[in-house]
Amino acid sequence: MTSALRIEDLTIRTADRILVSGFSATVGRGEPLTLLGESGSGKSLVAQAIMGTLPPGLLASGRILFDGADLLCLDEVARRSLWGRRIGLLPQEPWTALDPTMRAGGQLAEVHRYVHGRHDADGLAAAGLGEVGLADAGGHYPFQMSGGMCQRLALAIAHAADTPLLLADEPSKGLDGVLRADVVARLQREIAAGRLLLTITHDVALARVLGGTACVMLDGQAVEAGPTVRLLNAPAHSYTRALIDADPSAWPPRTPREPGPSVIEAMGLAKAFGRRRLFTDLDVQVRAGEIVAVVGPSGSGKTTLGNILVGTERPDRGRVRRVPGAAPLGFQKLYQDPPAAFVPHQTMGRALDHLARRHGVDRERVEELLARLKLAPGLRKQRPGELSGGELQRFALARVLLLDPVFLFADEATSRLDPVNQMEVAGLLRESSEQDGLAILFVTHDTVMAERIADRSITLQQ
Amino acid sequence: MTRLLLGRLVQAALVALVVGGLCFALVRVLPGDAAFRIAADRYGPDALTAQAAEAVRQELGLDRPWPELLLRWFGELAQGHLGNSLVSGEPVSEELASQLGPSLWLAASALVLSLLIGLPLGLVSGLRAGSGLDRLALIGAVALRALPPFVLGLVLMLVFSIRLEWLPPAGYGTWREMALPSLTLALGLAAVSSRVARDAVAAVGATTYYRFARLKGLPERAVLVRHGLRNAAIPVITYLGLQAVYLIEGVVVVESLFAYPGIGHALVHAVIARDVPMVQGAALVMGLMFVLLNLGVDLLCRLLDPRLGAGR
Amino acid sequence: MMLQMQDLAGTTPPRSDPWPISRRIGLGLLALLAAFALLGPVLVTADPARQDLSASLAPIGSDFLLGADHYGRSMLARLAYGARLSFGMALLTMLSAAAPGLLLGVLAAWRGGVTERALVALSDIVLALPGLLLVLLLLAFAPGHFLPLYLGLSLSLWVEFFRVARTTTARLLVEPRIEASRLLGFGTFYILRHQVLPEIAPLLLTLASFAMGTAILAISTLSAISVGLQPPTPELGSMIVELLPYYDEAPLTVLMPGILIFLLVLGLQLTARGGTVR
Repeated sequence: MTSALRIEDLTIRTADRILVSGFSATVGRGEPLTLLGESGSGKSLVAQAIMGTLPPGLLASGRILFDGADLLCLDEVARRSLWGRRIGLLPQEPWTALDPTMRAGGQLAEVHRYVHGRHDADGLAAAGLGEVGLADAGGHYPFQMSGGMCQRLALAIAHAADTPLLLADEPSKGLDGVLRADVVARLQREIAAGRLLLTITHDVALARVLGGTACVMLDGQAVEAGPTVRLLNAPAHSYTRALIDADPSAWPPRTPREPGPSVIEAMGLAKAFGRRRLFTDLDVQVRAGEIVAVVGPSGSGKTTLGNILVGTERPDRGRVRRVPGAAPLGFQKLYQDPPAAFVPHQTMGRALDHLARRHGVDRERVEELLARLKLAPGLRKQRPGELSGGELQRFALARVLLLDPVFLFADEATSRLDPVNQMEVAGLLRESSEQDGLAILFVTHDTVMAERIADRSITLQQ
Repeated sequence: MTRLLLGRLVQAALVALVVGGLCFALVRVLPGDAAFRIAADRYGPDALTAQAAEAVRQELGLDRPWPELLLRWFGELAQGHLGNSLVSGEPVSEELASQLGPSLWLAASALVLSLLIGLPLGLVSGLRAGSGLDRLALIGAVALRALPPFVLGLVLMLVFSIRLEWLPPAGYGTWREMALPSLTLALGLAAVSSRVARDAVAAVGATTYYRFARLKGLPERAVLVRHGLRNAAIPVITYLGLQAVYLIEGVVVVESLFAYPGIGHALVHAVIARDVPMVQGAALVMGLMFVLLNLGVDLLCRLLDPRLGAGR
Repeated sequence: MMLQMQDLAGTTPPRSDPWPISRRIGLGLLALLAAFALLGPVLVTADPARQDLSASLAPIGSDFLLGADHYGRSMLARLAYGARLSFGMALLTMLSAAAPGLLLGVLAAWRGGVTERALVALSDIVLALPGLLLVLLLLAFAPGHFLPLYLGLSLSLWVEFFRVARTTTARLLVEPRIEASRLLGFGTFYILRHQVLPEIAPLLLTLASFAMGTAILAISTLSAISVGLQPPTPELGSMIVELLPYYDEAPLTVLMPGILIFLLVLGLQLTARGGTVR
């Protein structure tokens, strides 16, 4: 059995740019390595270099020592012979990595049959499915399975391959509370079984529970590395600190405050899609300056509730009462996927100009707001595709605030953002509620975040 | 499933409605006294008498108000009464029955031939997307698509019948007569299906699940056979539904060109002779063939793609 | 119609460049053909109907630049008029199909409900039959005449514009950005003008080219099987059939109208290849 994976001075570059420079790290038995960083930090490139799947046009130098060989020197054939036998992958968002037209059992059994040539592949597959609690799902197609079930199937596939080295790519992405804990427990079992685990994530909490060694990456460089516990408890680098502080569990709790008068009230709401009942007899009230979180598993109707409050969907029963005298445009929404909420060919400046002209808002007010949201004037020339998610979400907040809203529905508005941006946008929302007395309905799947940002929470059950 | 069958049933009804309605209108607007003209068509101008015209008037009931006539027209259609050809005087259903076989053979052989040419070519081009072969296949397909089927048929005829004298330019009977019409259609169809297959294979090759199948450690063959072919087949089969349009239209054109004794040929002749019952019967059968083809494609798709089977 | 089925196959996955090389070549080819159709007869001043039996099947480069047909009519003049006829009719049918197709498509997606269902039912009626059959049925009213040919083609071609406009608009309408615009107080006209139109416009060139290609193929095909336009009209399809008996004596003359159709449709198809219709 191999005792370690050693990466020495790994540099990855295009013809004119260095993407990862001088990266070194070791994964040992019982000593998992977690690469922490936001998208674009180079952590995925490191994993691709190990796997041998770097996109064409990228050059890797340095050494990756595993099984007594340098993985960077292997040819195509030798590299492929490692896949599924020596190196396994737990893909990110496994629902996209499963064949949509093949049953779950078949996708697992083929690892036994075609990769390892084991007899009784179907029996082994059935046992493997049972182990991850999918005993009854062998005949299901991926579209019939939830995200959590797909993740467990991917784990069963990784387990069946039984490779000495396992790469886990963002294993907690898109999963909420309970499912995340389940994934962590299973990964820990793989560590206990003596497999080398390399995890790529932006999730500080995940790194903490996995233990071992952590390495923080920024702009293609490892800015800090060391035992995970020590590194997270006593970060030396400012970026590591920012990353840790950005984790919702580290956010300062909201100071209790006296909410203002009620801005919007809904009574006896009921909504169903076909046979599926989302909620019945639900009462909601949000007051000025108050942040109310709505939590619950995906599909429980969180977004639908918010849409009913801003008026883009109608309830089957019940009614919504807005505060008398509020402008019709005073009830606004922030979207989960920022680029989808902007017109792709319009520059930000143009979009804001149209809005300001429509509602007779003067230029100074716009400039003031942009400055307050830390949006540099240069960004006005950009189109949505050229901005980061964080910048776009701040523009979205800006255009909403231009209308002096009394109520804002933030629909998973920070879930697609990198941790640092997420914290910033959440902070801006909090600031608006405190300074402008904005009432906010904050929909999220993250219970920890809900606890930190909101005055109180509504939990919807499946 | 019921929904699917119902949808195609509605389409079949629409075919009957459109064809029947237009043919009824056609009878009404033909210039001159329809009864006289039909009688002249049938018995020749010399034998035309007032009695003969009156007989036709009675036979077709041309003296009633039109809404009643329309209802009766559709009533006849619903019972499957297609009437007699105005040219030959024979029952339309009998003429169609003898023409259906040749048309079906032509359509089927063209479809099979097109898949035999298009699918392997598409698979290889898709697996080697961007290669010289892929580009060559693209140029060939674009060129073939810009060629009207009748020009393609003429070129094949000039080469294989007139220059090389390998195959007869017209007729029906053995595979030799069918070879050129069938090849004409098949080349046109393959020009499209090869590119659809190529795009489908290339698209599947770029999916996350296809790459993951490789990373699982499966041998390339297993990756292709287990995860590639079925997923790539879905768009190709779906596309066959659209190709049905080309196939039916092509049958009409190619049969006329090669004087092939099928329904398409009969339809064109009937249109020129304004043999309304025959136009109606031939168009109806062609239309229903189109509906059946679409139904077959629907069923195949459902067989291949489990997502379609699960009623939402 | 013959080309509709090909439109999806011809378009590769979304591309950012609206002017790929194939589109440039296609437009260039069309420009050359248009110059030939418009300027050819002016430069050589020939009447496409004037017969000169002594010049029957005159070879290329003789008194006639592109030779003469069996009646001794100038091939250049006839080809130029044929191209003009095909292109003109295709343009006319395309325009009469595109205008209602686009308007009704946007309307159907925008209004939804009964309006949409009625319009979709209307398009389903047209789609129940292959387009060429529909045109054939209409041609039975007046074989060899322009009007039924034009009506039949427009009738079957509007559906493709309708379908694309409707699905594109419907896809847009569920996007958060439309909802966001409404919440921000923008009206219907603003959304149509700034959000829907810019998304449909790039598809127009593709749709229009396909519709014209389809029309050209259909006109020549129907004329070749003697139900479309009839001789002596210089129609490219009927010219081929008319000349076919003289293949042995003047093979090139027979092929010329075919090559012209091929180039016209090729130019249109290459032009269409840039955009994405889905």
